[in-house]
Amino acid sequence: MNHDIDIKKVRINCYRQSKVAGEFMLQLRVPGALIDAKHLSMVQEICERWGNGTFHMGTRQTLNIPGIKYEYIDEVNKFIKGYIHDVDIEMCDVDMESNDAGYPTIGARNIISCIGNAHCIKGNINTYKLARKIERLVFPSHYHIKVAVAGCPNDCAKANFNDFGIMGVHKQVYDIDRCIGCGSCVEACEHHATGVLSLNANGKIDKDTCCCVGCGECSLICPTGAWSRGKQLYRVTLGGRTGKQNPRSGKLFLNWVTEDVVLGMFANWQKFSAWALDYKPEYLHGGHLIDRVGYKEFVKHIFEGVEFNPEAKMADDIYWAENEQRGNMHVMPLSQHKFAGPTEERGYSFAKK
Amino acid sequence: MNNIVKPVACKILEVKKESLHEWTFKVETDIKPSHGQFLQLSIPKVGEAPISVSGYGDGWMDFTIRSVGKVTDVIFDKKPGDILFLRGAYGHGWPVEKFQGKHMVVITGGTGLAPVKSMLNMFYDNPDYVKSVTLISGFKNEEGIIFKNDLERWKEKFTTMYTLDRDQKEGWNTGFVTEFVSKVPFKDFGEDYEVVIVGPPPMMKFTGLEAVKCGVKEEKIWVSFERKMSCAVGKCGHCRIDEVYVCLDGPVFNYTQAKYLVD
Amino acid sequence: MGYKVSFEEANKIFAKLQDEYEIWAPKRFVGRGRYSDTDMIKYDKVNTVEEIEYKEKSDFPAKEVLTPITESLFYFTEDEFIESKATKKKLLIFMRPCDIHAQHHQEKIYLSNGDFTDMYYKRMNEKVKIVMMECTTGWDTCFCVSMGTNKSEDYSMAVRFGEGELTLDVKDADFAPYFEGQASADFKPDYVKENELHVEIPEIPNKDVLLKLKSHPMWNEYNKRCISCGACTIACSTCTCFTTTDIVYNENGSVGERKRTSASCQIKGFTDMAGGMSFRNTAGERMRYKVLHKFHDYKARFKDYHMCVGCGRCIDRCPEYISIAATVDKMAKAIDEIVAEEK
Repeated sequence: MNHDIDIKKVRINCYRQSKVAGEFMLQLRVPGALIDAKHLSMVQEICERWGNGTFHMGTRQTLNIPGIKYEYIDEVNKFIKGYIHDVDIEMCDVDMESNDAGYPTIGARNIISCIGNAHCIKGNINTYKLARKIERLVFPSHYHIKVAVAGCPNDCAKANFNDFGIMGVHKQVYDIDRCIGCGSCVEACEHHATGVLSLNANGKIDKDTCCCVGCGECSLICPTGAWSRGKQLYRVTLGGRTGKQNPRSGKLFLNWVTEDVVLGMFANWQKFSAWALDYKPEYLHGGHLIDRVGYKEFVKHIFEGVEFNPEAKMADDIYWAENEQRGNMHVMPLSQHKFAGPTEERGYSFAKK
Repeated sequence: MNNIVKPVACKILEVKKESLHEWTFKVETDIKPSHGQFLQLSIPKVGEAPISVSGYGDGWMDFTIRSVGKVTDVIFDKKPGDILFLRGAYGHGWPVEKFQGKHMVVITGGTGLAPVKSMLNMFYDNPDYVKSVTLISGFKNEEGIIFKNDLERWKEKFTTMYTLDRDQKEGWNTGFVTEFVSKVPFKDFGEDYEVVIVGPPPMMKFTGLEAVKCGVKEEKIWVSFERKMSCAVGKCGHCRIDEVYVCLDGPVFNYTQAKYLVD
Repeated sequence: MGYKVSFEEANKIFAKLQDEYEIWAPKRFVGRGRYSDTDMIKYDKVNTVEEIEYKEKSDFPAKEVLTPITESLFYFTEDEFIESKATKKKLLIFMRPCDIHAQHHQEKIYLSNGDFTDMYYKRMNEKVKIVMMECTTGWDTCFCVSMGTNKSEDYSMAVRFGEGELTLDVKDADFAPYFEGQASADFKPDYVKENELHVEIPEIPNKDVLLKLKSHPMWNEYNKRCISCGACTIACSTCTCFTTTDIVYNENGSVGERKRTSASCQIKGFTDMAGGMSFRNTAGERMRYKVLHKFHDYKARFKDYHMCVGCGRCIDRCPEYISIAATVDKMAKAIDEIVAEEK
């Protein structure tokens, strides 16, 4: 069939090219992965009217509607106006126009979340509420970024494989007078977490505070409420990703930071990306952007104007362990290197071939 | 206000090693226990634990402790002249009045000998108190034998059957105490006898069943229970079995009651 | 005498009472619940009416005021045990009828079991004055009517919480002076007449049935379901078990503190003795032990009433959704089975 379609333009509009010529898959954003169930009938309608009658659950928790013919895209965009309005503008308070054009950009990817403490007994935070707050800071923007929010360090959301992985934690509080020395917390910490608790000779609990991940297993199992959750804080991993070239798990970046720190950081993301790309947006994964800039330089930009809470800890430096799919593929001729920041700030140049 | 859980300081008079793991402490005290009663001994880092009285006399008392489990080494560092803390004596001991003038059959397993030791010595010292004493004492192995001197001495006046569970020892039998119950001439005693069984719960259970099998009436059998206790005065709840508190209603029970006491 | 006082006036009375009394009541601790963003309601000292959580059942019972989870008994040196001091003030405790009954159940153990009186309980108990919190509906886990603990006359004052005001029945003459000049009101506390949950306690006709019930397969279910955490017994209004432990301050263990800490028959190790002996080594056996205590053994000993007061806190607190009410129903069926077989 004779097609003349600007694939890139369609992709930015959140339609993914299909192997079936002329067909596309719409990806509806669900920041925080929780929406009113009423939207499901709308999704079903798109699938049945314009799609191929199937529905796919997006790997980044988007609602995917495959088999939409190119010529229907305008119609579908009109149809999803209400959804985008409800979800992004109303629910997430995103600063964007409500129109018939569909999504303005695919840039910042959908923010993944586990169900969090809205349901999960292990969850430490309301994940979708945080995701919605982050959505309005990173979207709509062409700058690519992958963020996931996990309710606890168990990380069912696989936040660890995102550029930014947010996990809810608490500083646990121990009331020694309520402790009956049953040892349940010791066992739970050993089995489910990092084994930082031990029963001492006086029948009370000792804790190795350095290695506590703040997961709350102790508070969950404690029969007396001797353990309970104190201040709600966050743990953030940085630089995780999947990919054909160099997938890797993120590294612990921030620990025991408040929501203000997390949101302050995301508020700087677009500005940082613009600077790093020399104010010329190009399609580049957020994680690679951080790599290009280098950790020390990155934190300088991303925390501009951010005030850390007293408990907060931040990585002094991060040494990612690359897990290249092909050995040494990150080692390449200088001509193939990519650079971050304005050209004039680049300290050196190299001879042309 | 009278504080029932306040222990009193007692001076250690003598420390005697009975076996590899059992030590007897003789302390100076005016406490007058009856045979089969127990005391609460304060053990630093542990709190308190019930200890049966293994002997007593004017101004002194013996109790035998096993140096295993949670009991800390602190108590085994104690020397004569040092202080220990005690309170008691507690519980219902052996009904010795009932035993008076009868043939006595005493069957013990391991450290179960401790709670009957003072009574056996009373029988030894007062040969006319009972008609006869038949003592069956079993231990796991030679290392576990306690009160060696007493065991030897008792041979003079009692009919004794000493046995090790599996090991061989000169002058001793090999086998569980249950195997020797049928050797007791219950028929010769007429109805004029009482049976005392003390040891670990399985030993008491099977020895009791064996005795009943030999025609012994349940009401003639007496056992002594050992349970964890934190107070000994019916408050802490650790020793409760059904509506019975071992510390208050025991540790000595008649078999007719004991057979229902399943933990 | 009945009175109606505004919260503002009540707070003034609280302030006056505090010269002589510590005021204890259920209080909400935000974010301190088992799950995140949930609260814990437990007894604590209060200064104002607003601090009292009267709309919800507390997670933990009133017994904690009289017998704290950890209590110092003695301070010891090499040759002496010195008694810990009790609080100087009297205790004014806000309790629901179930908790009031529970105190009497506890008294049987602490004050009279084996004719031994526990000094620590007694000295606290003597200081207690009860403010009964009127409870008219209960919650879906309550079965106080089944246990006969829905009503109590044993109080110094009874209180109904209204919007911004308290209505009180002041029976105890000690408290009359505090209410001088307050508006009088005709008030007698109402009580729960029916619960959603009914529990019929089965009779165990004799010892042989009891023995068979103990080994009945019904208890095996709990080997899989119960995690032996002990939350039920800590939440229980009537459980009294404790363990005595020593904390030593110096290396040779001759100077330190003797403490009493709540213990649970549901937690492994409850029966452990030096030398390795232990009893009830499965969750099912421990469950059986607890249930029989609450609905048979206690009454068999004290002849009066069952130990359980039907507060339902064990149901609320069980992280595995084990219901004591459902367990009693299963036990009743098991007893019927055993009795039928015997015939």
